Amino acid sequence: MFRQMLYTQLKWSLIALAALVVAGFAIPVLSVQRAGIVQPATWDAAVLLTAIRGWGVAYPILAGAVGLVAALTAWSHDHRGNHVYALSLPVARWKYAVLRFAAGGVLILPVVVALWVGGLAAGSASTIPNGLHAYPTALALRFGLATFVAYAAFFAIASGTSRTAAWVLGVIGALAVVQIVLSAAGVHAAFLPDALERLYTWPGPFELFTGQWMLINV
Amino acid sequence: MSNAIETHGLRYRAGKTFEIRDLALNVPTGAVYGFLGPNGSGKTTTIRLLLGMLRRVGGTIRVLDGSVPRDIVHVLARVGYVPERPHLYPSLTVAEALRFHGAFFSRWDGHWADELRSGFGLDQDAKLSRLSKGEMGKLLVLVALAQRPDLLILDEPTDGLDPVVRRDVLAAVLEYVSTARATVFISSHLVHELERICDWVGVMDHGQLVAELPMQTFKNGIKRLRVRNAPADIGDAPFVLLAREPGNGVAGESWVVRGWDASMHEYFTAIGAAVHAVDDLDLEDGFVELLRASRAPTA
Repeated sequence: MFRQMLYTQLKWSLIALAALVVAGFAIPVLSVQRAGIVQPATWDAAVLLTAIRGWGVAYPILAGAVGLVAALTAWSHDHRGNHVYALSLPVARWKYAVLRFAAGGVLILPVVVALWVGGLAAGSASTIPNGLHAYPTALALRFGLATFVAYAAFFAIASGTSRTAAWVLGVIGALAVVQIVLSAAGVHAAFLPDALERLYTWPGPFELFTGQWMLINV
Repeated sequence: MSNAIETHGLRYRAGKTFEIRDLALNVPTGAVYGFLGPNGSGKTTTIRLLLGMLRRVGGTIRVLDGSVPRDIVHVLARVGYVPERPHLYPSLTVAEALRFHGAFFSRWDGHWADELRSGFGLDQDAKLSRLSKGEMGKLLVLVALAQRPDLLILDEPTDGLDPVVRRDVLAAVLEYVSTARATVFISSHLVHELERICDWVGVMDHGQLVAELPMQTFKNGIKRLRVRNAPADIGDAPFVLLAREPGNGVAGESWVVRGWDASMHEYFTAIGAAVHAVDDLDLEDGFVELLRASRAPTA
């Protein structure tokens, strides 16, 4: 059952997944290469760190993209058929959702592995200045966690109907409007920025996405 | 005889205009039950309620001795379902779709699925999105049969298919039923098609079950009578008067009745009338008259 779920999701996401695997491998390699172009002969630590930091934004973006693709491909074909097929199969609804989620979770692994291999290759092929170290495994683990968090969030949204999605977006939009109106009226009630801060600071689920993403660091 | 499907007081509401009201279905085990009704009468909604896809507002549903929705997983494992519109994933090939579907059913017969596929002339490498309507119809019946179900629920399975494919599909279903002694619940608005294969019939209209009876009773019991000297008030008739149309003096009035029996001539004598002709109605005419009677405003 799980193997067939995995097979269908792999088939539906194969092209996008292949592109993301390539991106996962390429980003760490390119980040080091670009740094090398800045100072091809001898790498100055500060210049290298600046160049590596510049590429840092690519990792959370890639994590979000992988999560989005895995979540959308998990549900899009069922949505298209109004879930009639899924509901006619002799499997509990929660179990069906878990199987789809697990299959999508497996599909994000190749990108994480590609990024890890890319990080290892980039680290081993570079002459790293004294005092700096490559952290391909830590970077890949962090990337894997961020991808999983993004995937879980998108999966939860994608599993609902378009009506549910409209409700979620509607509530967020309404909160934003209320926030703007209150601010304009001079009322101090920054609940939306507070909520966002809670999401993006520890122990918020999206804290992983913030901060610096460095393949090479002190 | 036990029932494969039983509903009592089943109610469902969709929006402000459509509802299923107090539906009491009784589908005998082993029967080929034709579920008739015009488009929009509630046939597909009823089927989705039986399969636990929609939540009822009230009443009870039992399918294969399981309560729906409580036992739905066990029920679905024994039900072969052909929906109104193709539900399989169109991006898969025939072979992939069979593998996917078979993985969920413990009684899946892969060998027989292959035999059926060959018999239906389906290319296993063909993508589902590229299948013709007839090929898709065959594939849907194939996957339902290869589950070796105890109950087949077919929602307009031959709608839009050409006569040859329609015959192939129905032949495969009937062959399975005759060997496996399964129950078939088949919804259609193609009355003549059901007339040939069904032994029970239920008629839906506007979300209500208008009639449920053995096909033989339905076919034999609905007659058009030519009645002379009929009084305006017919009292307690021993049959159900579905329609009454005035005629000229020679031909008499035309009555469409349900539950007719030859011994009922005495009733007409008692009310001072006479029946001078009794015509059989085919199922389609009977169906139309039944709907017309159910829709007539009550006095």
